Amino acid sequence: MSTFLSQIANGLMFGSLIALIAIGYTMVYGIITLINFAHGEIFMVGAYGGLATLTYWVPTAVVAQWYFALPIALVAGALVAMLVAIAMERFAYRPLRNAPRLAPLITALGVSVALQEAVRVFYPGATAAIPFPPLFLDGAFVIPIGDGVVIRYTGVLLIVVSLALAFALERFVERTRLGRAMRATSQDRDVARLMGIDPDRVIVLTFAIGGALAGVAGVLYGSYLNNINIDMGFQNGIFAFTAAVLGGIGNIRGAVVGGLVIGLVRALGGQYLPGGTAYDYVWIFVVLIIVLVFRPQGFFGESERVRA
Amino acid sequence: MSRTRKVATTAALLAGVLALSACSTNREEASGGGGGTCDTSKGTLVIGFIAPLSGSLSALGLGMKNSTDLAVNQANQACKVPGYRLALQAEDDQGTAQIAGQAATKLASDPNVVGVVGTLNSSTAQAAAPILAQKKIVEISPANTNPALTQGDNYATAPNRPNATYFRTATTDAIQGPFAAQFLVQKQGKKNIAVIDDGKTYGAGLAAQFAAEAQKLGATIVTQAKVGEKDTDFSGVITQVRAANPDAVYYGGEYPVAGPLSKQLADAGLNIPLMGGDGIVDATYTQLGGREGDFATNVGAPPEQLPSAKAFIDAYAAAGYPEPYSAYGALTYDAANVIIDGLSKAVGNGTFSDATRDGLISAVQATNLQGATGAISFDQFGDTTNKQLTVYSVQGGSFKPLETGTYTAS
Amino acid sequence: MSTTIDPPVATTAPPVQHTGRFGAVLNAVAPFAKIGMIVGGVLSVLGAFLPWVTFVLNEGAYPERASLNMFVEPFGVSGFRLHITLLGIAAIVIALLTVPAKHRIVRGLGIGVAAVALLNGIWITVEGGGLGAITAADGTIAFGAIVALIGGLVTVLAATSGGLEARPEWEWELPWWVEWILLLVIFALVLLLVAEVLTSGGQGGVVNPYAGVVFLSLLAALSGALSALSASGLLTWVGVVSERHRVFSVVVLLLCALALPFTGAGTEYWMTVASNIGVYAATAIGLNIVVGLAGLLDLGYVAFLGIGAFTAANLSGAAASAVGIHLPFLLVMVISAVVAGIFGAIVGSPTLRVRGDYLAIVTLAFGEIFVRSAQNNIAGLTGGANAIPNIPPVGVGGFQFNDSITIGALRLPSGVMYYVAIVLLVAFVMLVFGNLKNSRLGRAWIAIREDEDAASAMGIRTGPIKILAFLIGAMLAGLAGAFFAHKTAVVAYDSFRFLESVTLLAAVILGGMGTIPGAVLGASILFVLPEKLREFADYRLLLFGLALILIMRFRPQGIIADKHRKAELADDDPEDVAREGPGALPTEVK
Repeated sequence: MSTFLSQIANGLMFGSLIALIAIGYTMVYGIITLINFAHGEIFMVGAYGGLATLTYWVPTAVVAQWYFALPIALVAGALVAMLVAIAMERFAYRPLRNAPRLAPLITALGVSVALQEAVRVFYPGATAAIPFPPLFLDGAFVIPIGDGVVIRYTGVLLIVVSLALAFALERFVERTRLGRAMRATSQDRDVARLMGIDPDRVIVLTFAIGGALAGVAGVLYGSYLNNINIDMGFQNGIFAFTAAVLGGIGNIRGAVVGGLVIGLVRALGGQYLPGGTAYDYVWIFVVLIIVLVFRPQGFFGESERVRA
Repeated sequence: MSRTRKVATTAALLAGVLALSACSTNREEASGGGGGTCDTSKGTLVIGFIAPLSGSLSALGLGMKNSTDLAVNQANQACKVPGYRLALQAEDDQGTAQIAGQAATKLASDPNVVGVVGTLNSSTAQAAAPILAQKKIVEISPANTNPALTQGDNYATAPNRPNATYFRTATTDAIQGPFAAQFLVQKQGKKNIAVIDDGKTYGAGLAAQFAAEAQKLGATIVTQAKVGEKDTDFSGVITQVRAANPDAVYYGGEYPVAGPLSKQLADAGLNIPLMGGDGIVDATYTQLGGREGDFATNVGAPPEQLPSAKAFIDAYAAAGYPEPYSAYGALTYDAANVIIDGLSKAVGNGTFSDATRDGLISAVQATNLQGATGAISFDQFGDTTNKQLTVYSVQGGSFKPLETGTYTAS
Repeated sequence: MSTTIDPPVATTAPPVQHTGRFGAVLNAVAPFAKIGMIVGGVLSVLGAFLPWVTFVLNEGAYPERASLNMFVEPFGVSGFRLHITLLGIAAIVIALLTVPAKHRIVRGLGIGVAAVALLNGIWITVEGGGLGAITAADGTIAFGAIVALIGGLVTVLAATSGGLEARPEWEWELPWWVEWILLLVIFALVLLLVAEVLTSGGQGGVVNPYAGVVFLSLLAALSGALSALSASGLLTWVGVVSERHRVFSVVVLLLCALALPFTGAGTEYWMTVASNIGVYAATAIGLNIVVGLAGLLDLGYVAFLGIGAFTAANLSGAAASAVGIHLPFLLVMVISAVVAGIFGAIVGSPTLRVRGDYLAIVTLAFGEIFVRSAQNNIAGLTGGANAIPNIPPVGVGGFQFNDSITIGALRLPSGVMYYVAIVLLVAFVMLVFGNLKNSRLGRAWIAIREDEDAASAMGIRTGPIKILAFLIGAMLAGLAGAFFAHKTAVVAYDSFRFLESVTLLAAVILGGMGTIPGAVLGASILFVLPEKLREFADYRLLLFGLALILIMRFRPQGIIADKHRKAELADDDPEDVAREGPGALPTEVK
C-alpha cells in the first residue's frame, strides 16, 4: 500500500512538471497549430538561465537562503526562457507564418537542435550534468501509512507552483481582455484581425507566457532533481506534448490533467508493468500512440477536426 | 537615415576592433611543434586515445587525455623514440560503443598510429579492441575492469584471451567486486544490501561479482534493480528499494547516475551508505549529490600516497592542465608510458613499419616498468599483475582513501 | 545533323540602370566595368603571388609556401593560391573575350576569389593570433590575403555593374558519338573532382592540422568555378545532353562511382567514409519515398535502419548476439529488409486514422520506443548499452570483405569491397525509387501528398497505399541497416537516436524532396562535412540546427528542386516565385 501511494506521489510530482511544460505546447498549438518542438528546449534554457543567475550574478550569501534564492531563480528562469521564446517566434517562426505545414515543423526541429547545442557549447561545464541547488527545504517528510510514504519538500513545491500557475493562467485566459483576444485568435485569426486584434501581438504573448511557464518548470526541475543537463529538454518536451494531446490540444485544463496522467502512467507503469522502471518511458509513448490513433481530440477536446 | 547611421556605427565598431587587434600575433619562438632538441627526422608516430571527452563522463576522460598528453610530451622531450616525434591523437567516444568503434576504425586506418590508450568504459572497449587487434595496434586501457575483456566470456571457468593486442593497467571486477563485498559485509557489517546497476558491461558485471561474494559472506541481497545510464529521476527505483528496507546500497555504474541516486536516496529518508566501484570515484560525484559516508573501491593504491606517483602529480600540476587528472590519471600515464617504452624497444634505432607491430606487442607483453602506480607488468591475459585496490569514503566533500589492500579469496 | 550555335543574348547590352541599395555605386562604376574586371583579376593573381603569412604558424607552415612571393619563385604557387590564380586569370581572359553572359560568369569567378581569400585570411588571422599574421609583424609583410580579397571584390563589383545577363540556353546538338565521348570525359572529370574534394586536406588528425580549412578553401574555389559554369549555361546544356542519353549517362555514372577506389581516394580511410555516406544515402532515399513522394512526415525513420542492423547483427554469428546463428549475407539482407518492412507496416498503420503532424508524432513515438527498448536490451537482442560488438565482416567463400585486393600490380585497400557493395546497393535503391516514382503507385503517392481527400475521391485506395510507402521505405532502410552492421562491426542503440532521424530528414530536404539525386547529394553533404571538418566538431550540431532553420526560410525546396513538386514545401506562394526569378524551374505540375 505504501509503495502504491509513494508511486502515486512520484507520479503527481513528475506529472505536474510535465503539465507546466505542456501548457506552453498546448497554447502555441491552439493559436498557430504549430508543434513547437523547441518548447522542450525552452524549458531547458530556463533551468540554465536560473542556475546562471544564481551562480554568476547573485552573491552567495543571498543564494544560501532559499527564500531569496527560490524567487530569484524562478523569475530569472522565467525571464530567460521567455526572451528566448519570443526571439524564437520572431526570427524562426514568424517568417514562415504562411508557409506550408512541413516548413515550420522542420524549423522547430532546427531550433531545438540549435538551442541545445548553443547551451552545450557556450554554458561553462554544460557538456555534463551540472549540480543544481535545492532552492527549498531540503529533505522530506513521511506520511505514516504502512511503511511510510516519503514526500520530498521540493516535490511539494513543484506541485503547488505548477497548479497555482495553471489556475492563474486559466483565469487570465477566461477573464481578461487579452485572454479573450487569445481565444479569438485561436478560433479564427482573420476574424480576430477584423475585430481589431493584432494577431502578431497575441502570438508573441502566447509564446511569452508558454516560455515563462517552461522556464519556471526548468528551475523547479533542477531543484527537484538537483542536477540539470542539456538532454532534459527534448525528452520532457515530448512527454509534455503527449500530455497536451492527451488533454485535448489547445485546452489548458486538459494539459494539466494530461500531465498528471502522464506522471501516473510513468510511475505506476514502472512499478507494476513488466520491464520495471527501465521501460517506464515506453508506456508513455504507448499511451501517446493509442490516444492519437483512437481519440486524437484528447480528453477535453471538442469534436474531431481534420488535421492535415 | 537610420540605415546610414547603422552602417556608420558598424564601420566604427569594426575599425575599433581592427585597431585593437591590429598587428598582434601569437607567434612562438620555437615553432615547428614540440620537437625540442631531439632528432625527429623520421617523422611522426601517433599514439591514439579513445575515451569520452564530452558528455557526462568527460571529467574522467579529460583527465585521462591530459595524463596521456603529459606522457607523450615527456617522451618527446627525452627523445624516447630516436628519430621520431610522438603525437597524441585524441578521439572522443562519448561513452558509447558505436562511436568508440568508429574512432577505432579511424585510428586503425591511419598507418602512423602505433598504439592506443583507452578506453574508459568496458562497453566501448568491447567495440574498439577487436578493430584495433585486427590491425595489430596495441591498446592499453587504464580503466576497463570487466574481466571478459582479457579472459574471454568464460573467464571464471575457461579463461581465453580474445585480443592479443589488448592490455590493461587496471585490475578486474572479478577482484574489485568481491573486494568491495568483503569490505561492506565484513568490515561495515551490512547484511541487507540493495544492488542497483546501469546494465552496462562494467556496471552489470561489477554488480554481479559484488552480489555473488556478498551472498557468500552471509549477506542478503534484498532487491536488485536496473536504471538507465542517462536517467535522472530515480523516484520509482527508490520506492522499490525503500520497500525492501536495506542497510546499504551497492551501485554498479558511474558517477553521473550514482551522485543523484545517492542524493535522492537520502531525500527519500534512506540514510544508508551507497557504495560503488571505480566508476564513481570522481570529484563530480559529490557535486551531483554523493553524500558523506558513501563508499567506493578504486583500482590501485591512491596516487597521493604513493611515493612513485609524486613525480607524476608534480609534473601534471606543472603542465597546467585545466582539468584535474581524476581517478585514472596515474594509471593512464602508466599505460601511455608502457606504449612509449615498448615502442622505443621495438623501434630501437630502426624505422617503424607494419613489421614493427609484432615486436611492439611482445615488448608491451614483456613490460617491466616502474610506473607512477608501482611496478607494471602483464600476465598471460594482458592483465596487470598489480592487483591492489583501495576503499575510499566521502569525507569532507570528497573521496578520501580508507584502506588499501589486495583481494584474497574468502 | 547540323551544329547550331545560337547565343540568345545580345552581347552588346545597352547600358544598365541599377536600382536598389547599391544602385548609385553600381551606376558610377558601370562605364569602367571591363577595366574593373581586368584590374580585379590582376589584383587577384597578384594577391596569390604575394606572401600570405608573416611568420610560420605555430602548428606548422600554412600555406606550405607561406612567405613565397612572385620575385622568389613564380611557379611555386600551390593549393588555394593556385586556385586564386586560375580563377583570376579566367576572369581576365573572359573579360577580354566576347562571350554571352560574360558579366555573370566573371561575377562567379570573382565570388570564388573573394571567398577563398576571405576564408584563408580569416583562418590565418584566427590561427595566427591577430591581424598581424596577414598584414605586417616583426618587420615582415604579407598582404596576399588582403590584396586577393580586394581583387575578388573589385571583380564582383565591376561585373555586377556591367549588368548581369540572363543565363544563355544552348541548343547545340552534336552527333551522338561526340556527345557520348563528351559525356564520358565530363563524368570522368566529375569523378576526379569528387576524389579531389573527398581527399583534399588529407585525413586530418594531429599530423595534419590544416585538413579542414584546405577542404573548405577548395569548396569555396569550386563553388566559384561552378557558379561561373552555371552562368555560362554550359551546366544546363550538359544536363540536357545527359538527359538525351539517359541510359548511357546512368551506366557511365555508375562506372565512375565504381572507379573511385582507383583515384586518390582509394585508401582505406576514404573507402570507409564513402561507405558510410552510402549507407545514409540509401537510407535517405528510402525516407524520400515516405516523405518526398507520399508526403508522410516520418520522425522515427532511423529506427528501421536500426531494426535492419540489429537483425543482421543477430544473424551474423557475432558472439554477443542472442540468436547466434550465421547466415549468408545476401539472405541476411533479405531477412533484415523483410523484418524492417514488417515494422514499417506496423508503424505506418496509424496513417489510416492519423494525418499531418499528428502522424509525425506517432512515428516519433515509435522511434523513441525502439531506442528505449534497444537501450534496455529487449529480449537480449540489442546488447543494450553494451551494443553488439565484434560483428564479423561479410565473407564470400574464403574472401573477407575487409581484406585488401591485389589485381596485378595494383593493390586496392581494404574496405574496397564494402564500397563497391554499397555503390551497387545505392544504385539498386535509386533504381527502385526511380521506377516507383514514375509508376502507378508513385503517382498515387504524389496524389496523396498533394491532396489526400482529392486522391481518395479519384478512387485511390489511400490507406493501403500509404502503408505501402512506409513498408517499402522501411525495407530499403533495413537493407542499408544490414550492410551498416557488418561494415561498422558494432551496432548500438545510440546510432539510432532521434537526432539521426532529423539528420536523415535534413538530408532529404537539403538535397531536394522527391528527387532521386537529391537524397544522395543531401546525405553526402551532411555526412562528409562533419568528417572533413573535425576541427569544428564542437560546433557541428549548432551549425546543423541553424542550417535547418535557414534552409526552411530561404530554400525549402532544397538544392535540386523536384520539377513535379508543388505543395508541402515548394509553395505556390506568388512571393516565392518572384524570389526565384526567371531562372527557376517551373513549380507547376506538367
